[in-house]
Parts: sequence; C-alpha cells; structure tokens
Amino acid sequence: MSGYVEIAIGVIQALVIVALAPLITGMMRKTKAKTQKRTGFGIFQPYCDIIKLLHKDEVVSDQSSWIFRFSPWVNFVAIGAAAFFIPVFLSNSPFGLVGDLLLVIGLFGLARFFTMLSGLDVASTFGGLGSGREMMISALLEPALFLSIFLVALTYGGTNLSTLVGAASDSPLLPHPQLIFAAIAMFIIILGETGRLPFDNPATHLELTMVHEAMILEYSGKSLALMEWSQSIKQMILFALIVNIFIPWGISSSISVSELGIGFLAFVAKISMFAIFVAWFETSVAKWRLFRIPDLIAIAIASLMIGIVFYFL
Amino acid sequence: MISNLILFQVIVSLFLGGAMLSLLSRSGKFARSMIFVPSMAGSALTILFSIDVLAGKPLSWAIPNMIPFFNFEILVDGVSAFFMLIIGIVSFAVSLYSMGYSKEYEITKRISAFGFLFNIFILSMFLVVGSNNGFFFLVFWELMSLASFFLVIYDHEKEGNLKSGITYLVMTHFGTFFIVVSFLLGYVQTGNFSFDSLRNSSSSFPFLIKNLMFVFAFLGFGTKAGMVPLHTWLPQAHPSAPSNVSSLMSAVMIKIGIYGLVRTVLDFTGFGASPDYSWWGLLMVAAGSASALIGVLYAVIERDIKRALAFSSIENIGIILVGFGLSIVFASYHLVSLSVLALVASMYHTINHAVFKGLLFMGAGSVVYATHTKNIEDLGGVIKYMPWTALLFLIGAVSIAGLPPFNGFVSEWLTLQAILSSSQIPSTVLQISIAFASLPFALTMGIAAATFVKLFGITFLSRARSKHVLNIKEVPRNMIAGMSILAAVCILLGVIPFLGISLISTAFHLSSQPSSPFDAITLQNTAGTSFANLSMPVVLIILSAMAVAIFGFIRVIGGKTTKTICGTWDCGFGSLNERMECTATSLSQPIRAVFRVFFKPHNETNKEFFGQTNQYLVKTIKFNSVTKNIFEENLYQPIVNSTLFVLDRIHKIQTGKVNSYLLYILITAVLLLLFVRLNH
Repeated sequence: MSGYVEIAIGVIQALVIVALAPLITGMMRKTKAKTQKRTGFGIFQPYCDIIKLLHKDEVVSDQSSWIFRFSPWVNFVAIGAAAFFIPVFLSNSPFGLVGDLLLVIGLFGLARFFTMLSGLDVASTFGGLGSGREMMISALLEPALFLSIFLVALTYGGTNLSTLVGAASDSPLLPHPQLIFAAIAMFIIILGETGRLPFDNPATHLELTMVHEAMILEYSGKSLALMEWSQSIKQMILFALIVNIFIPWGISSSISVSELGIGFLAFVAKISMFAIFVAWFETSVAKWRLFRIPDLIAIAIASLMIGIVFYFL
Repeated sequence: MISNLILFQVIVSLFLGGAMLSLLSRSGKFARSMIFVPSMAGSALTILFSIDVLAGKPLSWAIPNMIPFFNFEILVDGVSAFFMLIIGIVSFAVSLYSMGYSKEYEITKRISAFGFLFNIFILSMFLVVGSNNGFFFLVFWELMSLASFFLVIYDHEKEGNLKSGITYLVMTHFGTFFIVVSFLLGYVQTGNFSFDSLRNSSSSFPFLIKNLMFVFAFLGFGTKAGMVPLHTWLPQAHPSAPSNVSSLMSAVMIKIGIYGLVRTVLDFTGFGASPDYSWWGLLMVAAGSASALIGVLYAVIERDIKRALAFSSIENIGIILVGFGLSIVFASYHLVSLSVLALVASMYHTINHAVFKGLLFMGAGSVVYATHTKNIEDLGGVIKYMPWTALLFLIGAVSIAGLPPFNGFVSEWLTLQAILSSSQIPSTVLQISIAFASLPFALTMGIAAATFVKLFGITFLSRARSKHVLNIKEVPRNMIAGMSILAAVCILLGVIPFLGISLISTAFHLSSQPSSPFDAITLQNTAGTSFANLSMPVVLIILSAMAVAIFGFIRVIGGKTTKTICGTWDCGFGSLNERMECTATSLSQPIRAVFRVFFKPHNETNKEFFGQTNQYLVKTIKFNSVTKNIFEENLYQPIVNSTLFVLDRIHKIQTGKVNSYLLYILITAVLLLLFVRLNH
C-alpha cells in the first residue's frame, strides 16, 4: 500500500514542477521589471500566455520537415519526464530507483538536440546562428556540469537523487568545504543551462546576442507554447536541484501530512527566494560577449577543481 | 543437433564460397546475390554460432603441424563469441545493404573483385577472433589488413584514394610490427606460438617482459583501433573506401583491435592484481581521453560526412579505452566489482559503437549513393526526398550522441559511473587525476552531440544548397532494410540494457548477472545505500506516459490546430535563398573559435572595392579559412622527412656501376672473414 502512496507522491512532485514552472518564470519577470523600475505584468502572465498560444493557429515554414513539428513534443516529453526524478518536498522519491542525475542531464540533452535541429530546419538565417551558439555553450558546459555532479555525488554518496538529497538534508549547515565551490559552479552552470544573463538574454530578440530565442524563432501557436513551457520546467528543475542540494532544510523525509505540508511550503519559499535572487542578479550584470562565455565556464571549472582537491585531501 | 565445429566450418566455407562465386560472376542482379547472399548466410550463422558458444559450448579445435612447427588452433570462448556476435550482426546488415549499394559501382567496373575481397575481409576478421595460435592469428590479421587495403583503394580512379590507401597500408604494418614483437617476446618465454601456453605460463614471466609485452601489444592493437596519435590512417582510409566497406571497417575492424588488446591484457600478459600494474590502465585512460577529445574536435569542424564519421570513430575508441583502462586500474587495486562495472561499460560501448557507427556509415553511404557528394556544404533538405534514410540516420545520430532512451546513453552512463567510482581507489594522486581526466571526457560528450546536430542538420534539414540534391530519390529497399536492422538493435540495446549486460557478463564470465529484463542497474556506494540506479524500460514508460498526457492536455485545452504553410520569416526583405542559410562551417565556427589554440585556423580575407579611394564600398569579399592538422604537421611530417633524408644518404652507395658493387662484395667478404677469425 505504501508503495502506491510513494508512487502517487512521486507523480505529484512531478506535477508540482510542471504546474508551478510558469509561475516561477512569472515571478522572475516581475522581479526584473521591479528592479528596472517598471511595473511589469502580473506573476500569472505566463499561464495566460500559454493558454492564449494554445488557442492560436500555427504558421509553419514551407521549408521545414517533420523534425520542426516534432521537436516541441520531444522537448516537453523529455523535460517533463526529467521532472519525475527530482525530489521536491519529499527527499525519498520512488523514481530514484528508475533514474539518477545523469539521466536528468541526458533528457535535457535530448531536448536540446531537437531544439538545435529545429533551429536548422527552417532554413532561416537566425536559426543556424542560435544553434551554432548553443552547440558551443552546451558543449563547454558539459564538463563543468559533470564535474559538479562528480563533486556533489561523491560528497553525498550517490548520483541517485533520493540518496543525494536525503544525505544533504540529514547533514548540518555547510558540512563540507568543497560544497561552497560546487555551489558557485552550479550557480554559473544553471545560468548557462537556462539561458539567463550573462550567457543569453531571454527577453531580447537581437540577432547579435540571442541564442535560445533564435532557435525557436519560427515557432507559433501550440508549438511555441510547448517550447516556452518546457523551458520553464527545465529552469524549475534546475532551481529545485540547486535548492534541494545546497539548502535542503525543511524537506520532508517521511510520508506524513504535516511533514509533507511543511516540505511543500518550505520548497515554495526557497525556490521563490532563489528565483528572485537570480532575477535580481540578472539585472545587475550585463550580457557577456559570446566569446567571453568560455571564461565564465572556466571559472566554474576552476572552482570545481579546487573543490575536488579539497574533497580528496 | 549440429556440433558447433561443423557450424564453424560451414561459416568458413560459406564465406570462401562467396569469394569464389563472386570471381565467377559478372554484373547484374544475379551477380550481386551470388556475392552477398553467401556473406549474409555466413553472417547469420555467425550470430547463431556465437550465441551457441555463449550458451556454454566453447569450441576448441586444433590441427597439429598444419604447416611444419605451427599448429592450427581454434578456440572460441565467450570473449571471442562476443566479438563474433558483433561481426555477425554488422556484416549481416551490411551485406543486405550492399545488395543495393553496389549497383552504384556496376556502371564503371566489375564487382567480382569487390565481392571476393568483401567475403575474404569478413572471413579474416572472423578467423582472427577465433585463432588460438600467434602465428595463425598474424596470418589472418595480415589477410584482414590486406583485404581491407584493397577495398580501400577499390575506387582508385578517384583522386587521393591511392594515397590514403598507402597511408593505411604503412600504418597498419607499423601496428603489425609491434604485435609481432609482443608475440615474439612471448615466444622467447614459452617456446611456441600457442596462446594456450602463453595463457598458462604468462603469470610467471619476469615483470619487465610482461610490461614490454603489454606496451608493444598496446601500440600494435592501438594502431588498428585508431588511437591517437596512431590514428592518422583512419580519417583517410574510411572516407576513401566504398561506404559499405567503411561501415565494416569502422564498426567491426577497429573493434578487432580492441579484441586484441582485451585478449592480450586479460589473457597473455600475466596481468596481476597488484598496484604495480595500475599504470597499464592509466596509460589506456590517458590515451583514451586524448583520443576521445582530439577525435571529436576534428569531427565537429569536418565538412566531409564520411571523414566526420571516421573522426567520431576515433572518439568512440577513446571512450572504450577509458572504460577498459579504468577496469584495469580497479582490478590492480583489487576493486573487483568496480572493475566489472568498468569492463561492462567499455564492452557495452564496443557493441554500441559497432551498431550505430555501422548504421551511420550506411546512412552516409545512402546519401552519397543518391547525391554523389560527400561534402555536406552541398547538401541540405535531403529529408524531404529520402525520409527513411533520414529517420534511420537520426536514430544513429541520437544514439551516438549518448541521449536517452537510445543505446549510447546506457554505455556512457556506465562509463561515467565508472569514472565516479574512481574515488574508491586508495591513492589520492590517482583519485584526483582520474577526476580531472573526466574533464576532457565530459567535454567530448558535449561536443559529440554538437557534431551530430551539425551532421544531421546540415545534411538533411533546411533548403538544398546545390544542384546535387535536385531530383534525388529514396535508396532501394534492401539498403533501407540493412540500416533498419542496426537501428532496431540501437533501440533494443537502449531500452533493454539487460540484453547487453547479460551478454557481456556471460561472455566474460562475470560474477554479477542481472536477473530479469526489467531490473534496474543498481550501483551501491561504500555505505551500502544506493549510489545510482537506472531502469531504461521504466524510463520509456514514463516518457510515453508523459507524451500521452501532454498530447491529451493540449488537445483538450487548445482544441484542433489549424496550420498555415508559409515562407520562413525573412524580416520583410523577401527572397530568402539557400546562400543565406547556415553552413556547416558557420555552424561550427563558435567551437572553432573557442579551440583556436588546437585548430590553429589561418584566415584570409580578400576584398575588392568599387573604387580605389573608397574603402567602404566592397564589391566582392572572399574569405578563406584553413585549419591545420597538428599531428600531420608536427609528428608525421618530421618522421617522413627524416626517413626520406636517411634513405637519400643510403641512396648514394647505389651508384649503378658494377665495379663498386664488386668492391662492396669484397669488403663484406673481408669483414666476414675477419669476424670469423676473431671469434675463434
């Protein structure tokens, strides 16, 4: 019986991520507007956008193939499936037995692969630009990402996310010095993976700088809704990971209504704080030139290397 | 029930028969079936045979003194059967594919020679893996090298193919030389060439001999496998060969190099579980990481579709070597279960690479078959004309990029877990250095995904870039069928890793066997809790559930979609054409710029102005960018030059006059007499 309850909670955790992801995006946009002395839209605007787009007709390029029509679905399915493996408010997810952190990264890779292809598919001048830049950024982020997984997994004894977050929530405040370096690197990586400043600016459509927006430029209607939504989910997953690994307080470790409730509230509070912090951080930095981005990733890698030496010595 | 010795003999005679029949045949459909039906039957029986052996019936067969002093010995154990299974699966698919593909060559030349070599090539690989005697191993090895050499230069009319054939011939003999030295060292110790005697007595060899044998075998087999810096033949030979042959070479032949390495290290060199041997593994990890990174860096900037695939083979050999090397390191520190994990990872990647690289080379071959160009800058939009080829190539590309739920992901996952487990090695220096060695490895995986986005995207998607793509049509059905077989294996090995893992653990007699197809792969940490789990069937279920759910949700909320077909957005300027879209070079430009230290690009811009005085109005602009191959220029060119220099000096004594030759004879005779006298 408890098996079914666990699976149900696992599914609920995934649904929470899928459902709340646009809200986080809305909160970040609102924060950015406020810090730039604008009023901004309400925080529920992304939901309205998605519903509006779902009702719209689609315009499809005559040059495109089935890859273009297929890839929003691959995006959503891959990233949505990744949400199943993320501990949200209960540290011990039954889906930890199915896949680990490396699988989550693999699923993101699948989504990105198809996004890059769809950028090329429409024969537009922008799509290729975006895909080429994304190729570079994602390739360079990969070693940083793997090394940070290496460090965190070794510290907490597993790439299995249940083990990882469970061990993190049991340990006292900042138990290991190497985690500071891991956190710095993870923060940089997450900015890169979610396409935030200084890597990419999700709010502009300037051909000199755009990366992700250039690839999805030709999308409209339902496809665009799927693309935007899955991007929000990916961002939410990465935020949930960093929050639950480095500030795991409040996460529930047993199945009881009160603990789960506290866990949920703590999660919402933590992730909102983190999202607001990221948005504030974005306002205070400028976009970096594309070929300076490797420097930024090098900072992350250097920080991780120090962390690794700390761990083993 | 047929004994597997008869099965073995039937396989050999089928390939031999195919070779003979093709010499008798002329051209046409009938000739093609005379060539490829025997090889298909032989390959199918090879699959049966290896499964039979894996089921617990190893084959051991010997003809004593077949040639005086040399016993012909065959031993097919689990390891051989595993590699024979790879040979069987890929050769079957490639033979089926070749039925259609070789039509391309019938226009210009007879395919009988091709058919002869094709059958002999597969047969020689089969026999190399089965040999249990150093002498016959080398005979078949040489046969394999020569057959593939002639296949590489089959298209010798095309410019450059002869040169790449010669490079291949020289490099492969360079490798064979080292293998011979390694076997001779063993011969000196045991007194015969039989692998059995090596197996029985190698643990008592002196430590130095063991190390030397390993180093020579590593260099020799590494050359065949295409390990950096001995890889230089690979990106030349694979693109020159007809695509079905490149498919066999890249998918199977370079794996025979891996087979040789595995066989020597695990069986003959007397590897012992002591930290003294850990440097063997570390050498492999270092060579593997270097091969992986360097291979993929060249692959990502390449514009020739087959060369890019060849470079990517170097990369994958690197991944296999990293896994195998880690397994050796773990074994030398008595970490048995970790050693098993790393070995499974590397062997899983071996079979995976055979399957998806075979598929990709056949896919590239289909594109070349239809468009007659290998340059992807001239392609584009092929997916609209060849939907099946595109779909199958995409499956191969996603698999090789290591993305779930395909097979590349499983083996890369296992390899990454093996790297993560390096923290259990009781040596801080090793822990930190393997942790840092994972950096180039992870970078490789990132760039590999980018490479295949580029290869697939530029070849198949967007607008046609040249007239090569006009009026093309889908390739014949048997070519599609050949590719589909391997694509199906890609998906199977990805979704049910149980298949591959139980195959490997049976072949290598590993202790840990997965019990049911739906068991998760479970790794434990030192505390005994779960370190990592992976259950691909459930992942597939989650993916499909998610797909159904989101499709239903969108349909219910959004209703039916009306699609309008319209031109791509052109910013209102109009007349967007194929010259404005992204090319392969521009797509990989950011990566080339980041790694400019490695590529050393030389850029040249020539502008022509409308007026001499006004430097702002440009009439034409020409941009030329050349990247250097640092291995060719800094390693091979000096060696070739100095060899030529030495040969030039030696050349001086060849005057061509009879008098001087008589003088040489006189001097030699006097020296010999002196030598004999002094020795007395």
